[in-house]
Amino acid sequence: MSIATLAVPSKGRLRETALERLAEAGWDVVPPADARSYRATVRGRDDVEVAFLSASEIARELGAGRIDAGITGEDLVREGLADSEDRLECAARLGFGHADVVVAVPEAWFDVETMADLGEVAAGFRARHGRRLRIATKYWRLTQRHFSQEHGIQLYRIIESLGATEGAPAAGQADIIVDITSTGSTLRANRLKILSDGVILRSEACLFTASGSAPAPIADLSRRLAPAQKKAAPSH
Amino acid sequence: MNAHRSFAARADIETILAELGAARIDVPVLQPADPFLDMAGEELRRRIFVTQSETGEALCLRPEFTIPVCMAHLTAQSGPARHGYVGTVFRQRRAGSSEFLQAGIEDIGAAGTLDADARSVDDAVAMIGRLGVAHSAIEVIVGDQTVFDAVLAALGLPAGWRLALAHAFGSDAALAATLDRLSRPAPMPDMPGAIAEPALDGDQAGVERAIGSAMDAAGLSETGGRTAADIARRLLAKVEAARLAPDPALLEALGRFLAINVLLKDAPAAMTEWSAAAGVDIAEAVSALAARTDALAARGRDPQAITYRASFGRRLDYYTGLVFEVRARNGTVLAGGGRYDRLLPLLGAPAPTPGVGFSVWLDRVAETAGRAS
Repeated sequence: MSIATLAVPSKGRLRETALERLAEAGWDVVPPADARSYRATVRGRDDVEVAFLSASEIARELGAGRIDAGITGEDLVREGLADSEDRLECAARLGFGHADVVVAVPEAWFDVETMADLGEVAAGFRARHGRRLRIATKYWRLTQRHFSQEHGIQLYRIIESLGATEGAPAAGQADIIVDITSTGSTLRANRLKILSDGVILRSEACLFTASGSAPAPIADLSRRLAPAQKKAAPSH
Repeated sequence: MNAHRSFAARADIETILAELGAARIDVPVLQPADPFLDMAGEELRRRIFVTQSETGEALCLRPEFTIPVCMAHLTAQSGPARHGYVGTVFRQRRAGSSEFLQAGIEDIGAAGTLDADARSVDDAVAMIGRLGVAHSAIEVIVGDQTVFDAVLAALGLPAGWRLALAHAFGSDAALAATLDRLSRPAPMPDMPGAIAEPALDGDQAGVERAIGSAMDAAGLSETGGRTAADIARRLLAKVEAARLAPDPALLEALGRFLAINVLLKDAPAAMTEWSAAAGVDIAEAVSALAARTDALAARGRDPQAITYRASFGRRLDYYTGLVFEVRARNGTVLAGGGRYDRLLPLLGAPAPTPGVGFSVWLDRVAETAGRAS
């Protein structure tokens, strides 16, 4: 009998909440005897195993087909894997780890409220300032899709930012940002505002499986986890 | 390679380039990536092959010839020249080959722009003909950014509208969406009191001061990006647009202009007729278009075989005037070209340097020629 592998984030609140939710669904994950090990078993079951991976690695491993399912943030999957909509299935939305990937501009840009405004600003940017509009982000793929494919905005450059992205405009590294936010307080503290159609993705933790037929234990887990999303539906 | 081999039997590209009076130029396959990304935008990154030098500089396999040829022209610091090239360009695609053979001519620095425009169209058609595609098997479509700009100015549209429309020009979908948006009343921008008060009074200096203090508070004043004056100008244009009831007649007139799709020889008359109906004056743009049409006819190129489409353009901000495509009857684009007077200054030319050029997709031409024979 083949063993189905489920990947779970290896640390932090995502890991703790995922394990709680699995326990509610009847998967009691037994921590590995060796604390350094990244493999665990599920009590009373020999047809499944759990792999602890970094949250962003889970998207890659799913894409490569090396694991059968994974619990991770939707933002990491959409960003980390080309064509994730076609290749992976979101089998259950889990109702935790909420965060939005958003386009935010300085509050002082009183003339910019929508992506259409931003498109016009971007179009005239080089003529006025001698360079393209710069966007600080670690979300290359999501940014390109939102700007280029959905809003037809081509004329910008991405400045890769791996931390403290919200500080990039004041530091002069970029003009605007694409970043993740859960409450918006960090954006407000940095005097940035979200465009009215600037929410690129409303992300939460999800159970992802490869498109097509999931192994029986994973399909069963999806059904058990799915009702949880009602109970835990976000209030916002 | 297949295309190259099949052409060897028909005609040598290099011979054709020489016949057309172009001086052969070679540019490296490996190019700095930044000029392409700066000119075409970040979207191009998904479609080019990027690598890094040991020092961290982003390099790419050339995705096209115009920019490298212009950069080589600037480096050589020579006078006006017509550069002819043939070689492989590289584009990422989901399926199929990523290598395409292109040939073309970039005419840089020529003062007589109408003649140079006509020559570029003529050369593109001639090259495709010499490669075995009958003239009856192609159509040529031209558009002109300067005519569109003249129409926007002549209609007296609000500044905000002109910006939005100019930005959308070159994409039928974007133009339709913009026209639709403009046909509805624009919402008044959401402004805090300190900004709204001077903005509603049309007090530009007051708006700038209020924006300036908001920027100071956010530490944005010395970052080299948008200034308080830039923001104030656009904000006041939005306030003006929100107060102005959209004039359906103006948008209807613009829609009728964009629908013009006639033989090039009939284009000046069609535009004169349009401007009379719309009650605006675009005589200067019309006579420039007529002069270019005459220049094409003077080269023996039959304007009967060329279509003018008022909405035809490119969404790249370095194209400034003529744009054209040569298509096979099934719609395949065999060649594309246009005038890019803004490109060389953007690439660092010390003085205004005009340019016009075209590229032929040799693989597609070979396929079209092969199908016909």
